[in-house]
This record gives sequence, structure tokens and C-alpha cells, in this order.
Amino acid sequence: MESDYDTQDASDTESMEDDFYSEETVVRDGEDEGEDEGKYGFSDNESDDSDVIVSERLQQNYTVLDETDIRQRQEDDIRSLSMVLSTSRVHACLLLRHFNWSVSKVHEEWFADEESVRRAVGLLGKQVEMPNVAELLCGICFEVHPRTAMSSAACGHPFCDSCWRGYIGTAVTNGPGCLMLRCPDPSCSAAIGQDMIDMLAIDEDKQKYSHYLLRSFIENNRKTKWCPAPGCEFAIDFVMGSGSYDVSCNCSHSFCWNCTEEAHRPVECSTVAKWILKNSAESENMNWILANSKPCPKCKRPIEKNQGCMHITCTPPCKHEFCWLCLGSWIEHGERTGGFYACNRYEAAKEEGVYDESERRREMAKNSLERYTHYYERWATNQRSRQKALAQLHNIQTEKLEKLSKIQCQPESQLKFIIEAMLQVVECRRVLKWTYAYGYYLPEHEHAKRQFFEYLQGEAEAGLERLHQCAEKELRVYLEAEVPMKEFADFRVKLAGLTSVTRNYFQNLVQALESGLEDVGPNRQTNSSKSSSSKNISSKNSPGNSPKSSTTTNNFDNYWYCERCTFANPSSNQACEMCEHRRH
Amino acid sequence: MQASRARLFKEYKEVQREKSVDPDIQLVCDDSNIFKWTALIKGPSETPYEGGVFQLAFAIPEQYPLLPPQVRFLTKIFHPNVHFKTGEICLDILKNAWSPAWTLQSVCRAIIALMAHPEPDSPLNCDSGNLLRSGDIRGYQSMARMYTRLAAMPKKG
Repeated sequence: MESDYDTQDASDTESMEDDFYSEETVVRDGEDEGEDEGKYGFSDNESDDSDVIVSERLQQNYTVLDETDIRQRQEDDIRSLSMVLSTSRVHACLLLRHFNWSVSKVHEEWFADEESVRRAVGLLGKQVEMPNVAELLCGICFEVHPRTAMSSAACGHPFCDSCWRGYIGTAVTNGPGCLMLRCPDPSCSAAIGQDMIDMLAIDEDKQKYSHYLLRSFIENNRKTKWCPAPGCEFAIDFVMGSGSYDVSCNCSHSFCWNCTEEAHRPVECSTVAKWILKNSAESENMNWILANSKPCPKCKRPIEKNQGCMHITCTPPCKHEFCWLCLGSWIEHGERTGGFYACNRYEAAKEEGVYDESERRREMAKNSLERYTHYYERWATNQRSRQKALAQLHNIQTEKLEKLSKIQCQPESQLKFIIEAMLQVVECRRVLKWTYAYGYYLPEHEHAKRQFFEYLQGEAEAGLERLHQCAEKELRVYLEAEVPMKEFADFRVKLAGLTSVTRNYFQNLVQALESGLEDVGPNRQTNSSKSSSSKNISSKNSPGNSPKSSTTTNNFDNYWYCERCTFANPSSNQACEMCEHRRH
Repeated sequence: MQASRARLFKEYKEVQREKSVDPDIQLVCDDSNIFKWTALIKGPSETPYEGGVFQLAFAIPEQYPLLPPQVRFLTKIFHPNVHFKTGEICLDILKNAWSPAWTLQSVCRAIIALMAHPEPDSPLNCDSGNLLRSGDIRGYQSMARMYTRLAAMPKKG
């Protein structure tokens, strides 16, 4: 592991890291008994619980749902709607699907104009029976069948069961558009609901249809999203407009609700998107997609234009119509945009340089490849360190803790501070990793900010190494032999102290970065308590003065931590030695 | 496969019976392959295509009629919704609005209707589309008529 952080303690950092990771044999155990350390977004893996688990996070602004919960909610919505409108379950389901599972929207539209809603969804007022004769002609295979071997939707257009099977099968194969299936007769718009599917389709198609229906309930609903972790089948129900976007699924994956990338505080979603696009291992594929496709302006799926005119209609369920050239809505197109083929909007915008911007950016990126490599390597290193720390955490939880408990004659519950320290390491690695993406996009010309940022980053790195060292190396001593009670107690105080100091430092770092390092901006306000806090810790909490030195006294109980800068002051002080903040 | 063959055979018999009914459409099945058809359609009257006979080629997928046939003009035609070089047709019922209740015969009828009522808003032939949309009906008609004369009418002499 090579690291080359541009900080004062680069050499220090480097040697420590080497020690940390080269000697450790990582043992992975299938059983994950992660501690639920709510505040920091780590969650356990106890997914056997089928109940809705309201996460006990700092901000309870989301709920994790499993398939049973989702079906239950869907069923509840359908049932209550069918009661309110006194209509069948199937019709209620079609209505909800049409209005993207918004019960209030259905109510609103239905009671405003029932007739037009019925037309749009394809619900006929009353059932039309097939002609009452012994034999009927199927409208698809043109064969004559006995009436008993035929079926029809509410419109009464008869088709034989085998053709129905094929018709439904084709629609299901084509994707979620099958949820909006209509009668095969071209002049008829009668909707085909799940009752028809269950009656006529083969089992495989029934399952697929039911799966699409479930997916639609999550995907077409603005408040819910699937957990993006591979193979994870949980969905997250998020309460908009409340606190941070970071959510943590029951599968232990933490991600950002807004962009569904992994949790990335303090970096913004747009920065992460840029960064990930840049890092994409499949950059060749990416280049191809960028060069040959454009995203649908509405649903963002990439579209390749391989034939036809500039009037593009996205595939169902999106069906957005837009102009291929300017990506504007097709409705806005007409004579005044200069014809449907040569789109003026595009030509005009091109002249104004709107499209040049992305071109130019691409060019610049090429030139700054070296700069990028610098940041990428460090980003990736922290990513790897985080993975290793996670593995170590597992190892401690599954093995070492028990051992330690025996050797030191302490109940495992008393050893929680070690787990907390490791969880803090994992979280810090994540934050540190993203600070490299942050640094990469920090404008070159803002020298003051850059310097300040790099200083903060360096300090963060050093602080984290200190914690990691203590949690890893010093722990090893206590694993090997029995030591005096007193010594182990000191170790506990030291590690717990380091954990809390590092936690505070990183919380302040995240805040400082999220506020855009306003301390060193042109409108610097030294007295603003929020902004100055980050500055103070960073400038004062240097390794020499940090609690590391207090290991000599081996007693944290005689210290108090400054609320503003986290510095550990002797209990005799009434104000912080470093920032002069008064003790409370 | 079997279902599509049976259905095409039905259509074949229907075409034989109906031949005299719709004089504007002549559908012929390939002698050796029931999945290949050609059609001759007459240009609708009071259009620049009047008097021309246009040949269409049908390639029918095995999943027919659940999937639409692929149709293109073999005869060169100047029309906003037909590709000038390949003869590809931009018609909703041949793409996403297809229904298995449509037949080859009804597809031909839809194409004749499209010839009489071009959709310049979704053009495959931009020159033709732009003429119509800029209001130059005469320009469009004379171009279309010229190509009808050149490509869709028997040579005189």
C-alpha cells in the first residue's frame, strides 16, 4: 500500500499504514453480527425480521421495506381504493397503476371527471358479453372455436385462449409496458387487468406480470426506491424534505437516497456522479454510450437512434415524446422551431455555445489526466482501506472479541468500545475517500480554499491513523497475554477517547466541506460559531497537541472536551486552551 | 411457427377470395416461402401518386401475428414518411401500435391511407417533409408526381 498524502505527516502516515494492512490476515465469516451503530449509518444484517423495521437513526426519515411489506402496502392501497370507489379490485389496481400509485391523485381525477378517467385507463362502464352462439371466430388466428374456449375483456371481443396466451406472452416479454395492456382489437381500448392475466397466461408470464406490478409500485412511486445493492430485495420508503439523504438498508448497504450511489457525505451528488462516470471501469462502454446515445429527457434511460425520424417516442411506460436534436419536448416543436427535421432550437443553442461547453470540458479532462490519477489513486486507496477495515471489524466481532473477553476476564458487553472504534474507522475511511473527489473538483484558482482543504484533509488523515493504530496494534498486545487490570482500563480510556475525538473531528470536517469551506471564502466571518468551529479544530488539533500526548497520563476522566474544537483540556481549565471557548 | 403458418394460410385463402373486392391491392405470396409476400398497390386518386403502381415487400416474423410484419417500398417513392433510399415506412401500426387483429390486407390499406395523408410531422424523408410543412404543396406534388412517373408507371413506347 503506497500512500503519498501531501501533508506534513505524510511519512508518519505511510509507515503506519504499512503496518496496519500488510500483516493482518483477514478472516471473513459468513455470519455478520454487526452492531447497529445508528448514528453512523452502519446497520446489522438481521434481515430475517419480516416486520417493517423503523431504523433507529439520528433522523428517522425512512423505512426499509421487504417484499412482504411492499405487497401488503400495495394490497392495502388497492383494497381501500376499491372500497372508496366501490369498484372491483382489478379496476382499482389499474387506476392506481395509471396514476403512479398515488391514491390522492386517483381520488382527485376520478371525482373530477370519472368519464375521462375511465376512457384514459380503459375501464368500460359495463361488461359486454361475447355473442351468445355456439361457435365464434377468433380475431387473431381467424379460426372458429367453441364459445367455451374463447375469452374476452369487458368489451366482449372474442379471442381464443391460445391466442390470448401468445398476446399476453408477447406483451410480458416486452417489459413493464404489459401493465397497460389493452384488448387486441385495434379499435378497442378496454384494459386487460391482472384477473385476465391470471386466467389466461402461462405460469411464467403470470409471475413476471406480478413481479412487474410489484416493481411498478416501488419504481413509479416518488417516495420509494429499491436498494441499489446487487441482489438486495429491500426497498426504502423515504420522507422527503427531512434531513440528510443518507439511508442505510437492512442489507447493510448505505446509500444516498437522492442519487442512489453509495453514501457520500460531504460530497454533493453531482460531484459523485461526475466522479463515478470518470472512474467507470467500463470507460470504453461509457464512451460508446456517450457517443451513440442520448438519455431520454424524462426517464433518463439511454436511447440509441438507429432509424427513423427525429420525433422520438420513449418505450413504455415512459412514452415521452421529444426531439432527438435538442431533446426538447415534441409538443414545443412546430413551424417556429424551423421545421421538424432541422431543429432551430438546437442550431441556435449550438451557436450560443451551449453544447460546446460539454465538448470543452471533455478536452480539458484529457489534459488533466495526471491530476486526476493523483486523486483517483488516493480515493481508491481509501476505498480499499475501508474494505479491509470492514473485514477486520468482522474478524473482531466473530473471533477476537470472544478471545479478548476470556483473556482479560471481561464480559463482551464491556468490550463494545473496540467495535465502536472500528466502526468509526470504517466511517472515517468513507468520508476521507470522498474528500479526494471533493478535492479533485475544488477549483484550482481558489488557492486559499485549496490550502485550507488540504490542511484539513491531512489532519483528518493523521487523526484517523492514530485511531486505527490504537484499535489495531495496541489491541494486539491485550489479545496475546494477560495484563494488569489497570493497564487494560487505561487502554479502554485511550481508545474510547480517540474514537470520540476522531468522530468529532470528522463530523466537523463533513460540516465544513458541506458548507463549501466558507471560512476561507471572500466573506469570511470568524465569529460565526458554525463556520469557525471547523477552522478551530483544524488549526489547533494538530498531532502534537492532540489527545495522543495525553496517553502519558493515561486518564481521560480528568479531561473535558471542548464543544467547539474537541480539544481535551485538563479539568482545571474553565476555558479551552486552544480556542478559548468557555466550558459548559 | 405453426400458428403463424396457419394464420398466413387463412389470409392467403381470404386474399384469393377477396381479389375482386379491393381492386387497389394485389397481395401475392412467394411460391416457396409463406413468410415472404409482395403487394402491388395503386396510388390513390387525387394524389400525386395517382396512376402509379407501387410494389411493397413483406418480411413476416415467425411470431406473426403477435409481432408486426416488416414492410418496405420496393418502388421508389417521394413521400415524407418513406425513406427515399431504403423504402422503410414510418407508420405507427407497423411499430408500437401493432395489434394482432390487423392483417396484411389491412396493412396495405393503412399504407394507401398514409400515401393520401402524409404525416409531415414525423418525417423519414426530410426534403419531402420540409416542402409540405413550409406550405409548398405544389413543390411537393410535382416532385412526388415526377418520381411516380419515373418509377411507378410503365415506360411508354
